[in-house]
Amino acid sequence: MRIHADPLNAPLLDVTHPRLAVRVFRAVLNRFLLLPLGVAIAMVWANTDPESYFRFAQAASFPVNEIAMAFFMALVAQELFESLMLGGALSAWRHRALPAIAAVGGLIGAVAAYLSFVSLKHEQMLAPAWPVAAAIDLAAGYYLLRLIYPRRSGVVAFMLLTAVLTDAIVIAVASVQTPSFQLHPAGAGLLLAALASAALLRRRGVKAFGPYWLISGTLSWLAFYWMGIHPALALVPIVPLLPHDTRAGDVFADRLDGTPVHHQEHEWNGIAQVAVLLFGLANGGVILRHADTGTWGVLIAALVGRPLGIMAALFIAVLAGLRLPARMRWSDIAVAALATTCGFTFALFLGAATLPIGAVAEQVTLGALLTVVGAFITLGFAWAAGAGRFKVGG
Amino acid sequence: MGIALRGLFGALLAGALTWQAPPITFAVIGDNGTGETPQYDVARQMLKTHATVPFSLVLMMGDNMYGAQQPRDFVDKFEIPYGPLLRMGIPFYAALGNHDEPGNRNYPPFNMNGQRYYSVVRGPVRFLFLDTNFMEPQQVQWFERALRDATEQWKIVIFHHPLYSDGDRHGPSVSLRVLLEPLMVRHGVDIVLSGHEHIYERIRPQKGITYFIVGSSGQLRRGGMTPSALTAAGFDRDQAFMVASIDGGDLTFQAISRTGVVVDSGVLHDRAATESEK
Repeated sequence: MRIHADPLNAPLLDVTHPRLAVRVFRAVLNRFLLLPLGVAIAMVWANTDPESYFRFAQAASFPVNEIAMAFFMALVAQELFESLMLGGALSAWRHRALPAIAAVGGLIGAVAAYLSFVSLKHEQMLAPAWPVAAAIDLAAGYYLLRLIYPRRSGVVAFMLLTAVLTDAIVIAVASVQTPSFQLHPAGAGLLLAALASAALLRRRGVKAFGPYWLISGTLSWLAFYWMGIHPALALVPIVPLLPHDTRAGDVFADRLDGTPVHHQEHEWNGIAQVAVLLFGLANGGVILRHADTGTWGVLIAALVGRPLGIMAALFIAVLAGLRLPARMRWSDIAVAALATTCGFTFALFLGAATLPIGAVAEQVTLGALLTVVGAFITLGFAWAAGAGRFKVGG
Repeated sequence: MGIALRGLFGALLAGALTWQAPPITFAVIGDNGTGETPQYDVARQMLKTHATVPFSLVLMMGDNMYGAQQPRDFVDKFEIPYGPLLRMGIPFYAALGNHDEPGNRNYPPFNMNGQRYYSVVRGPVRFLFLDTNFMEPQQVQWFERALRDATEQWKIVIFHHPLYSDGDRHGPSVSLRVLLEPLMVRHGVDIVLSGHEHIYERIRPQKGITYFIVGSSGQLRRGGMTPSALTAAGFDRDQAFMVASIDGGDLTFQAISRTGVVVDSGVLHDRAATESEK
């Protein structure tokens, strides 16, 4: 089995390689940099020729946000599912209570900070945007911690599970809260048909992903659309029924063709990354002068509310008798909590999924993009605290 | 007999064709609900103006209330300053701004009947109010349907965030412009009234629509405007409000400062008349 071992330790550019462009493209794909690239283009475009940008963004909204992004969300779900399988990178953490406590604490901290801030500023109109303030960028936090800690470190798995649980809760609550949500019996029936067809394909030993997407995925997408749940999540229920290989290495690494499953995931990754580039392009353009209360509310929630919430919840849990995992100090927990500050991808997604065009969406989208400063704060804190690779003599 | 009937019918038809709805006069305020002295000054100036330009309704561009929005605040920031006008039976119709609490749509004197978006007909005018904080697809569909079904001579649209603006603080909301402007152009909207930017500004007609910003009836961003080729007129040195009167195909307007100085005025024609002139 050939695993694309550790993209963080692999050289980014090998100029002696004859297919340099291909290697650069792969490196960018592997590092989830297409979203920031899309956002950067969108920001320049929106602030130089806003009319043509927003015309493009509004035309691209449905095909990108509601169809193409379904492949990205499903890929993230597949990678996490395989990491949680027996022998997977996160399997040992499955029964640990601490990430769940941290997720709840972080969620309460972020939402409370956001709602308090907008309430203090007397802008209750911004309250429905709380999911943007609560979301965590899984990949950004993961890669950030991989810069600081070795792959097998418990800190990485701890942060990742905390982030996964947080986003799962936020997506579930936001989906149900959406005004368009309707538990339509026919929609629920369609979803059951989607799951039954996927189970049947699996029972028949179908290894190719195509039939799952085409039959089960289409049914599920229609069911989600019908019930007013964001259809970008439509492929997620199908994921557990797909063929799988345990993901013991890097959680988000794009694996090369060792087995049929790897081969298909590799191709899937290409589609998902193009989707994510278009997503950044269609949603990341914000007029900078529209920064306002919602922008600062999201930043305060992510940079202050969430890490404090995580730390407070864990502190209470330890006081109540739970123990920190072996070889994890409070400074490591603090680094993990700070690594959740970046909302970027998931905050953008939740903004696009829950907020219609309007002044509120513009303000909080800018806040979601600015949470990238959390990455620098995390690195600075890790360096100051001598955590992981920054440990003197470590 | 038949000839006589035809003559009578012809006379009635001719009368119907030449009949014009009675004039309607209205006032416009925006970003007003501070509860501070300038808001009260503007309200007093509105009352003075009413003696000579007797407007029969007041349109509110949003940010009708700033700060706390407890029952006492509705008294201090709305019922006291506009009390004389309210006691004269002049109704106020509000759009929601970013500082308004969503529940304010249930406050009876705002005449929103619990709706975030709604329309009101007065004589030859249909006023359509939107909530541009969230332009969800249902609201856009409602707006398009309401515009399409409107048979009135004048269509005036009211919402908080301006589509065109030379204000220095916020500037135009281009994402909203891309969403709303094609609908308004297609369905013959004549005037768009907004607030948000704490200045008064009139924009040169864009695709046949004249845009006003009346965002300084309580708040003010002094010197908060940099005129451009879009600017037809602007006033950023003091608080202001607007009065307008529609008589047939003509809309006569005045923007008045809190000290009573007319800072902008003019006559606009409805789009049907303007296009037939062309």
